[in-house]
Amino acid sequence: MYRTVVILLAVTAIVVVGASATAAPAAGVLRLWMPGDAYSLDPAVASDFTTAIASKVMHLTLVRTDSRGRILPMGARSWTTSGGGLVYTFELDPRARFHNGRPVTAADWKWSFDRLANPETKAGAAAAVLGGVVGFDAVRRGDTTSLAGIRVVGPLRLQIALRPEGRGGFLNRLTHYAAAVLNREEVESGGPTWFERTSAGAGPFRLVRWERNAKFVFEGHAGFVYGSPRTRDFEMLIVPSAATRLNLYEAGELHATDVPLTDYRRVAQDPRYRDELRVFPRAQVLWLGLNPEAYPPFRDRRVRQAVAMAIDRDRIARTVFFGFYTPAGAFVPPQVSGALAAVEPAYRAYPYDPQRAKQLLAEAGVAGRLPPLELPNNPAAPDYQMAAEAVAAMLKEHLGMDVRVLRQEHAAWSTGLVRREFPALLAGWTAAYLDYGYYLDLLLDSRSGLNFTNYKNPEFDRLIDQANAARSDEEREAVYRRAERLALADAHVIPLVFTRFAHLVKPQLKGYEGSPLNLGISEFWGLALSR
Amino acid sequence: MIRYALRRILLTVPLVLVAAFLVFTAGRLAPGDPVAARLGQEYDPVAAAALRRQMGLDRPLVVQFAAYLAAVARFDFGESLITPGRRVSAIVADHLPVSLRLTTLAILLAGGVGLALGVAGAVRAGGALDRTLQLLILGALSVPNFVVAALLVLLFGVWWGVLPVAGLYHGWRSLVLPVVVLAIPPTAYITRVVRASMVQALREDYVRTARSKGLREARVVLAHALRNAALPIVTQVGLSFGYALTGAFVVELIFNVPGLARVGVEAILQRDYTVIQSVVLVYMGIFIAVNLLVDLSYALLDPRVRY
Repeated sequence: MYRTVVILLAVTAIVVVGASATAAPAAGVLRLWMPGDAYSLDPAVASDFTTAIASKVMHLTLVRTDSRGRILPMGARSWTTSGGGLVYTFELDPRARFHNGRPVTAADWKWSFDRLANPETKAGAAAAVLGGVVGFDAVRRGDTTSLAGIRVVGPLRLQIALRPEGRGGFLNRLTHYAAAVLNREEVESGGPTWFERTSAGAGPFRLVRWERNAKFVFEGHAGFVYGSPRTRDFEMLIVPSAATRLNLYEAGELHATDVPLTDYRRVAQDPRYRDELRVFPRAQVLWLGLNPEAYPPFRDRRVRQAVAMAIDRDRIARTVFFGFYTPAGAFVPPQVSGALAAVEPAYRAYPYDPQRAKQLLAEAGVAGRLPPLELPNNPAAPDYQMAAEAVAAMLKEHLGMDVRVLRQEHAAWSTGLVRREFPALLAGWTAAYLDYGYYLDLLLDSRSGLNFTNYKNPEFDRLIDQANAARSDEEREAVYRRAERLALADAHVIPLVFTRFAHLVKPQLKGYEGSPLNLGISEFWGLALSR
Repeated sequence: MIRYALRRILLTVPLVLVAAFLVFTAGRLAPGDPVAARLGQEYDPVAAAALRRQMGLDRPLVVQFAAYLAAVARFDFGESLITPGRRVSAIVADHLPVSLRLTTLAILLAGGVGLALGVAGAVRAGGALDRTLQLLILGALSVPNFVVAALLVLLFGVWWGVLPVAGLYHGWRSLVLPVVVLAIPPTAYITRVVRASMVQALREDYVRTARSKGLREARVVLAHALRNAALPIVTQVGLSFGYALTGAFVVELIFNVPGLARVGVEAILQRDYTVIQSVVLVYMGIFIAVNLLVDLSYALLDPRVRY
């Protein structure tokens, strides 16, 4: 009888194993991670981290930044300015080839920028990248499809003219992943989802296969401007869970990964990872936003100031984030050139002062009478929830406010955010390029679609215009610092901490340069596996 | 039997309609808006209203539902609301085979192991093996699968390095842990039902008669008792298939398996209505089909059953 049972079990095992047999992947392939599947692989329409990273892998921009924020040549090998600094003439790199082998020309760049600006493309980053270019508004209005300010002056020479009021930070803007060159024939013949059928870029890697929700398979591109990448076969596994990514790394299936905040201390104390753990700054601020349109007491500046003074950000950084993050007195991270946090590291618009905070509430006549406040937070990572809980506890302790931390699904969070419905919110902001404007213009200018807290101060908007019209970087940064001080004094946004990356990198992976942008990796062409 | 099958299929139509309507309305009543998700930083009330009109989301719910049913009748499941240009049928075609493979393997495993253990327990009812099995069944049904998954990943993937920890990047080896985790509760249920049915069958007169005729014990148990105990077992296997389908929603997320269940969860998080509706319809169809097959199999297993 038992023999029969054993035979039945053995047959089951053989059937299950046999039915599940598939081909194993080839060895010797560089493997990194993606935090999720992409909605699209069109760099122009990207608004998610995955597409942003995929764009850095597959596409070519005119210029790029290194990990210290310096502008370096990429699609353009050099450039000059004329017309009082308003006209840029780019000499394109003749070595650049699309993934199908065709040389990249100035006409391709012109077409790609026109397409990015065209409202039909629905590119969220169009204004951030090209808003300062002559003729941008006409394209947005639908008067024309060609940016008047971008001219092809030779097969390998491109000229871009800027409006005086929109000149600021232009080269920084051109490092944005959306400012990539695309192969027109491939895009136009591929239909709306051309990226599923073809690899239309000119970046370091060509897309070989996109296995939805599983992985991207890339191959080194010999026609890349810096020559063939050091690694030929490259895969990015789509792994949304940070804990699973860490498991994959520990099991040797990923050559690098990010370390979730919740695992950082364990990893940092583990002697196995002493030489593999890399910690480097991230150009990200975690911030509390107060929305007077959705919570009337916040219309009184004294109430917002009281909130700002009741929060002990040093304690949040030290206890909630165990010293891994640093307290943020300003909004723009110190990696951004000329940022207030870099120029005046000790700056605090409102130092922690609970007694004064109580007085301010009393002066505003709302002490003990504030209605309950909901505090939603970004569900993408545990950091936001951790900070929100601490903020809620401090507001309760010092101001007697009834703050309810609201954990939502992604859809509810993003809907409330863009509709500006949240009375308060706890979010983070990470740069896609290192520029003051990426923080202040996008998040706090009253004309921006990303002004989630309904911050409106005409003087602030005027300073933003002034910064973007500044003739030198120094002048621009000085004006931005004034604008940042003003916004911090208004206390619509209250910076809490600046964050850092913790990555694990296998010893055999060489050339891994941490970047403060996006998810911390960018120069994929320099990565190599040693034997 | 064909008439019975047709009648059963027809009876499922109102069930499918009601379930489809519930899913259709529940998704739309939950907080979160695909229009806002799609527009992102381009969101403004005018653009949102235009896109809502373009997507047909401004029409009354009943009209939207009727339009949806009409499209489904033409096998047109529409386009994802979040990833424009991506057909829902393509999403299902890409991911359903992965989920079906996972679920089918889990049921094969659960069926085989459950049958073997159940029979072994029944033959030695009350003995040490039987008592151990009861304890194991209790444990298997009490510990949630995400806990078992984490434990197995830690042991076999991270510490011992003998099996992949996630994804389907290593062929059949990648499927071992997710299939085992998914199979544990159905195995416990099947073992329990097989044991109970077999204990009862082994007490029947025909078993005693078979033994008295001098038949080998294995033949008595497998050819006589097991065959007569088959009906509840087959029912349990069918129910377990439904369990495994729903269990896959958790297992695919934990093991990073690119199946339809994981796509469904992500669609729910994004309020991608068209994808959610299709995932539910597909799963409902599979569940109904399996149950129908189970019902029809009764006639094959027991000649006394007539339709």
